[in-house]
Amino acid sequence: MNGAERVHLFLENAAKAAADTHSVSEPGGLLSALGRIVAIDSPVYCPGVTELEKAAAPLFAVRAADYAAAAVTVEEVFGAIAETGTLVCSSEGGRAVQAGLLPAHHVAIVRRDRIFDTLDDLFAAVASVPPTNLTLVTGPSRTADIELTLAIGVHGPEKLDIIVA
Amino acid sequence: MSPEQTSLAFRENTVRALKDPALRAAMKQATDTFGTKRADAFAPVADLEALRDRASAIRDDVQANLPMYVDRFVASATRAGATVHRAVDAAAAREIIRKILADRGAHRIVKGKSMVSEEVDLNSHLEAAGMEVVETDLGEYIIQMEGETPSHIIVPAIHKNRRQVGKLFADRLGAPYSDDPQVLTKIARKALREKFLSADAGISGANFAATDTGSLVLLTNEGNGRMVTSVPKLHVAILSVEKMLPSLTDLPAFLRLLPRSATGQTITSYVSIITGTRKAGDATGAKELHIVLVDNGRTEILAGESRDILKCIRCGACMNVCPVYRTVGGHSYGWTYPGPMGLILTTLLTGMKKSHPLVDASTLCGACVEVCPVRVPLVDLILGLRRRKVRERFSDPRERRGMEAFGKAAASPALFALGQRLAGAFWPVVRALGGKDVAGRMPAPAKTPLRRRLS
Repeated sequence: MNGAERVHLFLENAAKAAADTHSVSEPGGLLSALGRIVAIDSPVYCPGVTELEKAAAPLFAVRAADYAAAAVTVEEVFGAIAETGTLVCSSEGGRAVQAGLLPAHHVAIVRRDRIFDTLDDLFAAVASVPPTNLTLVTGPSRTADIELTLAIGVHGPEKLDIIVA
Repeated sequence: MSPEQTSLAFRENTVRALKDPALRAAMKQATDTFGTKRADAFAPVADLEALRDRASAIRDDVQANLPMYVDRFVASATRAGATVHRAVDAAAAREIIRKILADRGAHRIVKGKSMVSEEVDLNSHLEAAGMEVVETDLGEYIIQMEGETPSHIIVPAIHKNRRQVGKLFADRLGAPYSDDPQVLTKIARKALREKFLSADAGISGANFAATDTGSLVLLTNEGNGRMVTSVPKLHVAILSVEKMLPSLTDLPAFLRLLPRSATGQTITSYVSIITGTRKAGDATGAKELHIVLVDNGRTEILAGESRDILKCIRCGACMNVCPVYRTVGGHSYGWTYPGPMGLILTTLLTGMKKSHPLVDASTLCGACVEVCPVRVPLVDLILGLRRRKVRERFSDPRERRGMEAFGKAAASPALFALGQRLAGAFWPVVRALGGKDVAGRMPAPAKTPLRRRLS
């Protein structure tokens, strides 16, 4: 699989899992995508630690210091898996994995060179020294506990946007 | 005391279940949906049989070397900062967990779905100690509110329809009545969010435990599993010992098989891999992690002829295709685990004296074996239990005497031929005695036996 095929497969599978997907090619593209995705008056939690997060953070008028009080979390995640359309969130480097869980809207930025082909490739890379928390996220929070009817946004986000940058 | 008086009332329960149209409609709709979704999910998987072979071989290895793997897990998890407890039986598991919580003054507990916690009846023990235990999986939340037990290991409230849930939420939470699952889900989200944020401790189960890294693996869709394991500062995980996987790198095979088999998903919304406690520099992870490994009869199962049931990864596929489960529902089985895997595990864990009626709850059609992702020989295991049931004299004495007589006759050509002649002569008597129900529906014996016509 070459780079373009990998990105394509990841976006296709993420969309199948009911994530909204976006692909941008330059820094300006990231900001305009975020501008479309995030409501202007929403309290946003953005860690502002990675380069991409530093670029994104000034965009948001209302910054929530604490993810528990935010309506939206915008963050760069550890990586992704093309096979399943999955985001990989890791606690490595002091990242709060639960920041992508509590707010109703999760906007995840993933760098295109951080997409693994398969689940096996991810585990081959991380299994020797796993972080305290490694969470795989595929689509928004969901349940089918009532009559096997799909309902979205149970305890985690009801909306998941993924931006490949 | 006759064994009937202390055994699970499977036959009585099924009679009741068959007369409950709401239950039968819910079960039919749910299991039909599951069947279609499962087939669709597996359709694009290349080399499914090789994948099943690999997963089966891994589970065979775990089962064959379980004590070694458990020891390895204990060492790895301890190194990662967890405190591991070994519970020999249900009472020990309950008491270990009560003490962990009580010693730290934890009163408000949020709980993720865990079948082994149902097996050891954890909640009532903690509630008796004055703790508030809130089930946070939507299905578990519903049945806890109703005072019921799960009727399916994946979808615990599978037996309820949306109107019943709407009425329950209106009565108990004061919410406006709705029968829209999306609206009902939002009501639960709001009520439970407050519980998560104010909880002193979270209790979770685990789908797998990786012995090389000491990691716990939880597959969830709602996000409650993530909440329970990452928001409170104290996390207690309860799991039965057979959940081991040798290595975290074995996980992909099971991530491909378990969600597809269970709910027809390619993968669950969330897979949490938790390795020990929060370490220096971490912003995620419980400050204290206690892992309670429950034996509760597994060591005994391991030593017996039914040990292959310990390969089971609890996907629930066998119950979704079982003609008995689909018709009578999970509550008819009378204990924690229903369906084919459930009747086997229940009999082994609770004993033949209590569970012998369940051993009949199978048509031996083999549909369960066809769907089992890790190739548990369910039909062979059920046949083994049936042989044990006869050997230990729990079968119906009339059936036993009849079969013994037939066995003797069939072993002797002269007796068999005599029996064939007598059967014809005595047939009117048999019909009269058996009544319409049994003999009345059977065809009369042929005048000339097939054996003679062929010879």
